[in-house]
Amino acid sequence: MAAFFLAPNMLIFGVFVLFPLAVNIAYSMTGGNALFLTNREFVGLDQYERLFDCGNYLDRQTCREDLFWTAVWNTSAFVVLQVSLMVGVALVTALVLNRDLKARSFWRAVFFFPVLLSPVVVGLIWRWILQRQGLLNFGLYELGFEPVNWLVERNWAFAAAVGVSVWAHVGFYALILLAGLQAIPKELYEAAEMDGTKPGRVFWRITLPLLMPNLLVVLVLTLIRAVQIFDEVYVLTGGGPGTSTLFLTQYIYEVGFASHLRNPGLASAASILMGLVLIVLTLFQLGIVRRNDRRGGK
Amino acid sequence: MQIRKIVLALTAGLMSSTVAFAGDVRVMWYSDGVEGEVIQDLLNRFMEQNPDINVILDNVAYQVIQEQLPIELEAGRGPDIARVTNIKTLADHWLDLTPYLADPEYWRTNLGAQFDWMRPDGSEIIPGFMTQLTLTGGFANKTLFEQAGVEIPGAEATWDEWVEAAGKVQDSQQLNAAFAIDRSGHRISAPNVSYGANYIGPDRLPAPVDEGTKTFARKLVEWTESGRMNKDVWVSAAGTTYRAAADDFINAQIAYYYSGSWQVANLSTKIGDAFDWVATGSPCGTVACSGLPGGAALVGIKYTKNPEEVGKVMDYLASEDVVREFTERTLFLPAHKGVIAGEIDFQSDDPNVKAALNAFVKATGQVHENANALPAWKWGTPVYGALVTRISQAMAGELSIDDAFTRIDEDIKAQVAEASK
Amino acid sequence: MSRITLTGVSRSFGQVQVLHDIDLDIRDGELVVFVGPSGCGKSTLLRLIAGLDRPTKGTIAINDEDVTRVAAADRGLAMVFQSYALYPHMSVRQNLAFGLENARMPRAEIDQRIAEAARMLEIAPYLDRRPGQLSGGQRQRVAIGRAIVRNPTAFLLDEPLSNLDAELRISTRAELAALHERLSATMIYVTHDQTEAMTLADRIVVLRAGRIEQVGTPLELYNRPANLFVAGFIGAPRMNFLPAKIGGTKDGRTRLDLEGAGSLEVEAVAASAGDEITLGLRPHQLRLVDGGEGMTAEVSLVEALGSETVVHTRTAGGQSLLAVLSGQHDVAAGETARFGLVSADLHLFDKDGVRLQPAAN
Repeated sequence: MAAFFLAPNMLIFGVFVLFPLAVNIAYSMTGGNALFLTNREFVGLDQYERLFDCGNYLDRQTCREDLFWTAVWNTSAFVVLQVSLMVGVALVTALVLNRDLKARSFWRAVFFFPVLLSPVVVGLIWRWILQRQGLLNFGLYELGFEPVNWLVERNWAFAAAVGVSVWAHVGFYALILLAGLQAIPKELYEAAEMDGTKPGRVFWRITLPLLMPNLLVVLVLTLIRAVQIFDEVYVLTGGGPGTSTLFLTQYIYEVGFASHLRNPGLASAASILMGLVLIVLTLFQLGIVRRNDRRGGK
Repeated sequence: MQIRKIVLALTAGLMSSTVAFAGDVRVMWYSDGVEGEVIQDLLNRFMEQNPDINVILDNVAYQVIQEQLPIELEAGRGPDIARVTNIKTLADHWLDLTPYLADPEYWRTNLGAQFDWMRPDGSEIIPGFMTQLTLTGGFANKTLFEQAGVEIPGAEATWDEWVEAAGKVQDSQQLNAAFAIDRSGHRISAPNVSYGANYIGPDRLPAPVDEGTKTFARKLVEWTESGRMNKDVWVSAAGTTYRAAADDFINAQIAYYYSGSWQVANLSTKIGDAFDWVATGSPCGTVACSGLPGGAALVGIKYTKNPEEVGKVMDYLASEDVVREFTERTLFLPAHKGVIAGEIDFQSDDPNVKAALNAFVKATGQVHENANALPAWKWGTPVYGALVTRISQAMAGELSIDDAFTRIDEDIKAQVAEASK
Repeated sequence: MSRITLTGVSRSFGQVQVLHDIDLDIRDGELVVFVGPSGCGKSTLLRLIAGLDRPTKGTIAINDEDVTRVAAADRGLAMVFQSYALYPHMSVRQNLAFGLENARMPRAEIDQRIAEAARMLEIAPYLDRRPGQLSGGQRQRVAIGRAIVRNPTAFLLDEPLSNLDAELRISTRAELAALHERLSATMIYVTHDQTEAMTLADRIVVLRAGRIEQVGTPLELYNRPANLFVAGFIGAPRMNFLPAKIGGTKDGRTRLDLEGAGSLEVEAVAASAGDEITLGLRPHQLRLVDGGEGMTAEVSLVEALGSETVVHTRTAGGQSLLAVLSGQHDVAAGETARFGLVSADLHLFDKDGVRLQPAAN
């Protein structure tokens, strides 16, 4: 009987998720230029071999697919920086929003608003602000500073990619943390006050441990999102300058679809590798959720 | 990501509605400027004359033609007629119109010069015709040169001389850069040829990067470092992403812009009378002052269900009067020999336009044979892609130019290997 | 240990005034109970004393030192919250130690205090468990333990028994009383349950709508309620209230005309003939009489409990009258009962609800 009710969902899941996934794995084991799977030649694990063909993994120039490794290193650096920044800013924002501010609802809306924007809109807005003749440089020039070509200087472009994606999503995570903060009973803080606890200690010994389940959820969500970063960055920098903001998803897109050096098999192999990383992170998240459920009801 | 996958699946499914019913002819079209309106107008008149044929014009984005049409063609589907630029690479999908045309000889005489660009090597079919010929070439901001007191270099001027002259304008007028080239491997191929490059190797496979290409590539990197070449265009994107430098020229941020004849209508509309501009042909290298010809073709699709109707539509659109009217209204260079021989009255009030177009027509005589062979060569697009990806990395300082050359050869070799599977 | 003095304390939240001009003097070692209906301001008052809130007006002094502006942590008080407010992610031991660690107490002393409190409250077996693993009663003891280890000047308890089930409540009540004895500490105890107030308090403060209605020992409040509210609040079952009129005063006796229930003669009181008053009679004060003076009412329900008989009646005037008769009686519903008084303890309240004083002679 249960199977009967599950069937429609399983059907959709099978058709739209499992089947394309299987086809993708099949693609990753074929070579050639033909677009249709049946016209392609089976090459086993050649594509994966090609991706991992490196003299020294730390020096991407020794790699056969140097752009793939560039994307891997860029994405890794991005994940570390962006996730730390995102979780940190979300936490601070949630702590601030938790206070009895005037017009609290207004401020919450302000922080959440960018989350509602489409990523292309976000990328475009910031491109107009940061480009050589953009709003920021205009402002700097008026104030007497030297304008900087933000999107064409390697480190600034990377920082912009991190900053813009944090700006676009931090409101969402701040809201999750805010919910967690509000779930902490006020009386605990009063008891701590009666105990003569300093604010720092209140944060580290009471707030943070009780917020930990939410923090972990936010951490894993941001990790998963960060690995897949594409939309805003593609519009903002197009992967440039050079390849300094080329991330995995863009690499896969270019190799698989956009570039004239189209190689669907290689793109599929790269996407499978990326998928494996995401599976690990997702399992991690599932573990956390289960642990929270078990702990639940304090 | 999941939603996106579902939408793509649905879109692919919906796109299968491009399969036409009997009596319907579907045309997939893209526009750089006003061509969409012009062709619709022409087709409306055709339908008045041929009430039993319903021509449906799908005006789509260029990216659809580039990325989605090939997928449909691989699936054995697609529209009945399409306007495409990757003519050679997809040549296996074009319909042989010969049995469906009223007068194949007329076609061969007037339009045959570019058939090899559109059909597989050694084939004799008539796949379609070029809606326009394009030629790469430069544009100079005459007003800026005058203001700087710098003379516009003559027809024999080399790239170095042009960059120097534009550089003087940059310094005098406090411009951000002297000149810019579109971010495209296709665009720099003509200068490469002018410096002696020949992409086509033995067996019509790509040859390794030669001195001609290396010379010009080194110059590009040097000009980027010295600030003469606009850094934003090439450095600000990665991979094969196309970026046009037109806006910088239109906003009078640069003195010289190397692009092509298809920009004429765009520049005229956007610049208006803000400043005077001229088309200058292509600067010279050591070997030639060549531009790279190309163009978009209107082709019949092999998988059409209505080949007779397709033939009729193509006959109409390829007729001399229609081609002339199309050319005059869209401001494109025609491929039709009969039209070229006759009077072309380009419809524009902008005096710059007529002069520019005539300059381009004149420049067609300067095209070097190495450049002329490229549109008919099936490895053109992979080579352009490799060039732009790696040279822009060198400009960004990520690779040394020599490493870039090595990578270009590797990328192209990998692509050739893939295609042979 | 400590005296706590409140002078003119008021608290408003915006336009709403929750406490009006509270004056109170709590003596050293007393167990004072703040009691009153929901919303009377008792918890607010407790929080003001604790320092978790500041009064809008007035002063609070501990041992004659003005602490109105002093932070909660520095007042030397300890609070037991209604929900216990134990840190759920820390063990019992860590919960107890937390406040002491803040004071930078040496480890040895912390351990000693925890051991002492654990012994007193019998929570030693649970020291390494988390609050989530304890029962309600155990958690409550841990909350008290947390207060004890701090050796506070006074204990503040905010409805500590309200989260316990009935049986546990009774036993814990006794334990609290014993604790108070042992520690001889000043305790301020907030509750809405008048039984707890009566059993635990040295003195009770009855609050209503932010004002003190009466302060006194339990028996004082029981025997001489100052007004209608206190009379009806203290004592269970609730006092019976009957409207009456002063008939007249003669020879040191005043006659009361009860509407539809007869009349009564009582000690003279300071009121004029014709005044409308309320007569308060505790259910335990009524007894069945045979004839003559007294009040008549029709019996609607009889609850025979063995040791007592609860008789629900209705007077001719429509007033409900509840009598709790000692022992077993032969009364049935529908009969007319005639009640007299067990003692001369009557409670008379004027039309404003204030207790009538005996007539001055």
